[in-house]
Amino acid sequence: MSWTDFALIGLGCAITILVFRTVPLFALRGRELPAWLSQALAFIPPAAFAALIANDILSPGMFDAGLWPAAIPIIAAIIVVPVAIRTKSLVWSIVAGVGSYGLLLLI
Amino acid sequence: MIEGYTGAVMKKDSIAKQAFSMAAPIMVGYLFLGVPCGILSQSVGMDALQVFLLSALFYSGAGQYMIPNMWLLGSPMAAIIASVTLVNSRQMLYSASLSRFCENVNKRLAFLYGATVTDESFAVNVVKLEQGKWNIKGATLVNLFSQSAWALANVLGVVLGSLLTVPTALASFAMTSIFLCLLFSQPGTKGNIAAGVVAALGVFLAKCVGLSGPAILIGALLGVAAGMIVVRKERVSARVMD
Repeated sequence: MSWTDFALIGLGCAITILVFRTVPLFALRGRELPAWLSQALAFIPPAAFAALIANDILSPGMFDAGLWPAAIPIIAAIIVVPVAIRTKSLVWSIVAGVGSYGLLLLI
Repeated sequence: MIEGYTGAVMKKDSIAKQAFSMAAPIMVGYLFLGVPCGILSQSVGMDALQVFLLSALFYSGAGQYMIPNMWLLGSPMAAIIASVTLVNSRQMLYSASLSRFCENVNKRLAFLYGATVTDESFAVNVVKLEQGKWNIKGATLVNLFSQSAWALANVLGVVLGSLLTVPTALASFAMTSIFLCLLFSQPGTKGNIAAGVVAALGVFLAKCVGLSGPAILIGALLGVAAGMIVVRKERVSARVMD
C-alpha cells in the first residue's frame, strides 16, 4: 500500500466516522427536544448493547462448524448474566465471561 | 486560597483516577486486540507511523481490521471506504444519545469527546452519565485512555510483528462481557426488554439477508422502535384503565 493509497483510504474513512461521531451530537445539543425523540434517544443504550452482543455471538453461518463451536459463546454469555445482575461489576463480568469461554474451549 | 487550590487538584486527580479505573478493562481488551491489528496492517505494507496516524485520526477497531483485509482481497479503494463507512454508521446513534449530556460543555471538549467515542467507551460512559455520577471531562479521559492503549498496541504489532501471539478470541469475548454487564444493569422495564430482544433479533435477521455491514445500526434502530411502541401501548392501556 503506497502513501497515496494509504492517505486516501485513511482520510476517507476518518472523515465519514468523524461526521457520524460529531454531527448528531452538535445538531441535538442544547435543543428543546420533543418528548418522543428524548424517549427514542433513551432507548439507544439498551438497544445498542443488545445489538453489539448479538453481533458478537450470532451469525447465519454459526452452525457451519457444528453445534459446539456456536454454543460456546452463547453458554459463556448466559453464565455472565447472573454475575452481571448480582455484582453490576465490569471486572467480575469479564472474569466470568472470559473464564467460562476459555474453559469451554478446552473441553 | 491554598486549601481551595489543593481541593481543585485533588478533585482533578480523583476524576483522572476514576476515569482510569473505568477505562482499565477496555484498555486491556484493546491491548490484546490492537496487536494483531497492527500485525495485519503491517502485512499490507503500513509502517508504524501510518498505523499510529490511523489509530489517532480514524480510531475504529472494526474499521482498522477491515482496511487491510479488504486491501489483501484486492477490493477497490471506493469499495473499502464505502464498506467501512457502512459499518461505522452505528456511531451516529451513540452521538445522538450523548448529545443530552453535552449541553453545558464547551464546544471544543464536546467535539473531542464525540470524536473519540467507540462501542466500549460509549457503553461504559453512557451508563455512568445516565446515573448522574459522571461528567464529559471524565468521559473524555476514559476515551483518551482507551485510545492510547489501542494506538500503543497497534504500533507494537507493527514493530514486534509475529513475535507476539495473542489470544484474540478471549480478548474479544471480554468486550462482549462488558456489553452483557451493562445491558443487564439497565432497569428491566417492558420497554427496555422489548428494545433489547428486538435489537438482537434485528441484527441476526440483517445478517441473514446479507446486510452484515450495517447490522448493528439496523438492529439497534428496530430495538428503539420496539421500545417506543411498547411504551406507547402501556400509556394507551393506562388511559383506558382510567
